[in-house]
Amino acid sequence: MNAMIPAFDAHAVLVAPWTENLSLFGWIAAMGFAVTGACGLVGNYLMLRRMALMGDAVSHSVLPGLVAAFLVTSSRGTLPMFAGALAAGGFTTIAIESIHKLTRVKQDAAIGITFSTLFAIGVVMTSLYAGQVDLDADCVLYGEIAFVPLEPMINLGGLVLGPVPFVRMAAVLLMVGLLIAAFYKELLVSAFDPGLARSLGTNPTLMHYGLMAALSVVVVSAFESVGAILVVAMLILPGATASLLSTRLSRVHLLSLVHAAISSWLGVTLGVWLDCSIAAAMVVAGALLFALIWIVSPNEGLVARWRRRRTPALPSAMSSNSSPVSELK
Amino acid sequence: MSEPYAPLEIHDLTVAYHKKPVLWGVDLVIEPGRLIGIVGPNGAGKSTLIKACMGLLPLQSGWVKFFGESFHKMARRVGYVPQRESVDWDFPVNVMDVVLMGRYGRLGLLRRPSKADRIIARACLEKVHLLPYANRQIANLSGGQQQRVFLARALAQEADIYFMDEPFAGVDAATEAAIIAVLRELRDMGKTLLVVHHDLPTARQYFDDLLLLNMNVVAFGKTAEVFTAELLQKTYGGRLTILSEVAQALGAHGASR
Amino acid sequence: MSRTASRALLILLVAAATSPVEAAGVREFVSSDWSTQIVRFLTLQDASVRFALIGSVLLGLSCGLLGSFIVVRKMALMGDALSHAVLPGVAIGFLWNMTKDPLAILIGATIAGLLGTFLVSAISRTTRLKEDAALGLVLATFFAIGICLVTMIQRLPTGNKSGLDKFLFGQAAALSAEDITLMALVTTIAVVMVVAFYKELLASSFDPGFSRSIGLPTRWIHHGLMLLLTASVVIALQAVGVVLVSAMLITPASAAYLLTDRLHRLVVMAAAFGVGAGMAGAFLSFVGPSLPTGPLMVIGASALFSAAFLFGPRHGVVARWMLRRRGAARTQRENTLKSMFHVMEATQFRTEGVTLHDLAIRRRETIDDAQRLGRDLVRHGLATLSGDALYFTPPGRKRAGEIVRNHRLWELYLTQSANIAADHVHEDAEKIEHILGESVVRDLERRLGYATFDPHGRAIPSARAIHGGDARREGGNGTGK
Repeated sequence: MNAMIPAFDAHAVLVAPWTENLSLFGWIAAMGFAVTGACGLVGNYLMLRRMALMGDAVSHSVLPGLVAAFLVTSSRGTLPMFAGALAAGGFTTIAIESIHKLTRVKQDAAIGITFSTLFAIGVVMTSLYAGQVDLDADCVLYGEIAFVPLEPMINLGGLVLGPVPFVRMAAVLLMVGLLIAAFYKELLVSAFDPGLARSLGTNPTLMHYGLMAALSVVVVSAFESVGAILVVAMLILPGATASLLSTRLSRVHLLSLVHAAISSWLGVTLGVWLDCSIAAAMVVAGALLFALIWIVSPNEGLVARWRRRRTPALPSAMSSNSSPVSELK
Repeated sequence: MSEPYAPLEIHDLTVAYHKKPVLWGVDLVIEPGRLIGIVGPNGAGKSTLIKACMGLLPLQSGWVKFFGESFHKMARRVGYVPQRESVDWDFPVNVMDVVLMGRYGRLGLLRRPSKADRIIARACLEKVHLLPYANRQIANLSGGQQQRVFLARALAQEADIYFMDEPFAGVDAATEAAIIAVLRELRDMGKTLLVVHHDLPTARQYFDDLLLLNMNVVAFGKTAEVFTAELLQKTYGGRLTILSEVAQALGAHGASR
Repeated sequence: MSRTASRALLILLVAAATSPVEAAGVREFVSSDWSTQIVRFLTLQDASVRFALIGSVLLGLSCGLLGSFIVVRKMALMGDALSHAVLPGVAIGFLWNMTKDPLAILIGATIAGLLGTFLVSAISRTTRLKEDAALGLVLATFFAIGICLVTMIQRLPTGNKSGLDKFLFGQAAALSAEDITLMALVTTIAVVMVVAFYKELLASSFDPGFSRSIGLPTRWIHHGLMLLLTASVVIALQAVGVVLVSAMLITPASAAYLLTDRLHRLVVMAAAFGVGAGMAGAFLSFVGPSLPTGPLMVIGASALFSAAFLFGPRHGVVARWMLRRRGAARTQRENTLKSMFHVMEATQFRTEGVTLHDLAIRRRETIDDAQRLGRDLVRHGLATLSGDALYFTPPGRKRAGEIVRNHRLWELYLTQSANIAADHVHEDAEKIEHILGESVVRDLERRLGYATFDPHGRAIPSARAIHGGDARREGGNGTGK
């Protein structure tokens, strides 16, 4: 059992990845940041709308869309990939809604049934067409972020932008960031109070589908690197950690990006040390950050709660229930 | 009823939700054979009070005794009608299944409801005029019928003290009359009933005693003594809509006299 | 649970357990062409086939049984979180003595699963995070820890033969005699517990507050259920895989939920569906050996769910669509009857019949449309068509009077009791006229003091006149006003 945890070699773990092996681990860390950052930003809105598990659903359901796109175009181009993901994401959303609305099956069961079915179909398709589809079954689950630096590089007039998956993911991150900056008000209002949003001239349905489209694109760009399940952690962990520290949505966004940066750096370190899947190590690192904040956060932390419990609440100490949208009030 | 102890005694009860106190310092002694209405504004802690009595919520301080004993020893003598919205009415059970649940407390673990239990359940259904619906799935009932199913289940408990959480919420006039008739019948049998109620004008007519509640006990006593403009205003605070309702209720009462 | 139902479950279980369980045979079989594979499967020649089949029956049974409760308790996604959370436990159970010891894996996975469910409730209780976020967080984090461990184990010299990768998507053919024994044990315990505590499970699932008030230990029931659920997830892992085992909990039970209104039937049906899906998955994955078992079982279960979703007799989409279509057709016929009534009313009921021409003008349609509508009435015995004029049959006249009465009474009710302006009530009455029942109509009449005129001043046909079969008598003086 001891053979499993390698000795901690400070140089190999802490220094080498960022010096002699930078061309490898630099891209992996950058990819990790881009994935976690983009997921974290979209995830903030999923959590605000109590749709965290739609992330789970869409991340599983894009698989058949992705495989179908590969099979139809027999290429791994970005556009067919996005098209497949959007189609699958849209289908998932509609299927869940119709099972839930047309029958008495509750929404949680509808989510579970829909995504497991689509995912199962996707897995069977990957097995059946293993020759044509460049995805193996395990990669579907946890991706292979270590292969990112081995992908062809994109050169723009002599300037090395990076490997294809990273450039794609970075572009998605940028796009998500710009969209949030442009529609911040609308997103905030429609997440907080769809009725109010409608009266202010925002279409919450449009916002909903826009969010699902963004989710599908983010998830599919991250798919080959982190797979269908780890991406769920990347959707939730940054925002969950950030929301334990701040109740202002704009600050929650920034903190999620900070969480993404720390967890991708720590994840590479952990992955190199333990010689395990780096994507999984990034999630473990992110979870450790969450656990740390959960314990020590000044307002929400377990320590703070424990201290408060020792001084019993007075009737006058009625704290208002703060939420990340407190700036609306 | 030569019970040496009061059916319900509450001493210095404080309950908090998420470090936010909902009820504090509640002291009460309830006499047997009374039909008692619990009234107060939204968020006054009406449901909290009865849930706390039955140990469904943790107490910050104080104690509750039923017939001089803890709730757990006396659970069999306590009946409960939860709010109708508290359950999923799509649940795959029929009316009879739900009423039989009233017998479960007496059955103990591992035992199935017997023929005798079924006979009692049928009698309870008959009392609330639902016997013809015994085999219906509960989703296929109207709101008033669903409420009466809950009442029948409470009757099947054959308890001595009953807690009812808004049994008149969202029911039609006929159901309301049927329910109040059953409640009065129970009261006349010497049972004690505590009923959370939100409609002031009918509260005046229905209950022997009123408990005016707003985070603590504002007043408790015979309806005629407690149902005054001053006390109601104290209970409901300065809310205009409620005040006009109070005025209307008092006015209606004056007119009927 | 009814006695027959529990007996059926027991028979199923005994049948599964007493099937020949022999020494482990060749588990790594060579792929041959699919027709011989089918023959091999159906004749149960190989031990591996028998194990795969028995295993899938057992897991389908226990997952369907317990899945019923998580579906009706609305904990479907808890099952999902639980099934992912067991992965690190599987890895640690393997590390215990570096073999795939089913018992060590069961214990490790159960602990991990329970820790996961505990963390979900701890996070949602002590932070502002909602339960769904906590579920997703725990699910993916535990899975990541599991993947870290699995990739570390596979790096070890003994690790790549570990067969741990089979835990991700499942391979029923990899089941050993020991696995089957453990599966049978867990399934038996699950069946016995569900039968013994059916009453408590029923009450605490339906109404937890009430159940606690009558002294049922709801918290222990919940924990017990979670423990059984974890154990049955773990025994299902090897055949279905971590990723999709939650579907075997949710999908068969949801299909049953669409087909029955009683919990004990739901439980038995879900177990049967689970067994069916499991066997189908085992069969298909045997026929095409490169295919993992789990996804195929899930597709089997989803096919059952889709069938229930589409063709279920009461909750099925097709049945409801037909019902709605039938309702729409009836509404259309009633509207035609009403138009005929209006045409006759306009002539103070002097004419007996209504020409298609008048009907078309009244309805602002073409004569062809009017003819089509008229023929529909004739088909349903509500009118007769003679030449180009329609004549009410007695039931047709009665229904026409009723619809007009419903419409006008409702308009009157809205204007008088709800203070809605007279020109706003027509739309609402157009819809309600088709669904008002006789008792409601009588009640309305009484409340409105047996009014004879609607807010627009037209006569309201009285119940007596309609049932007397003559709409003319009391309609005659109405239009003059």
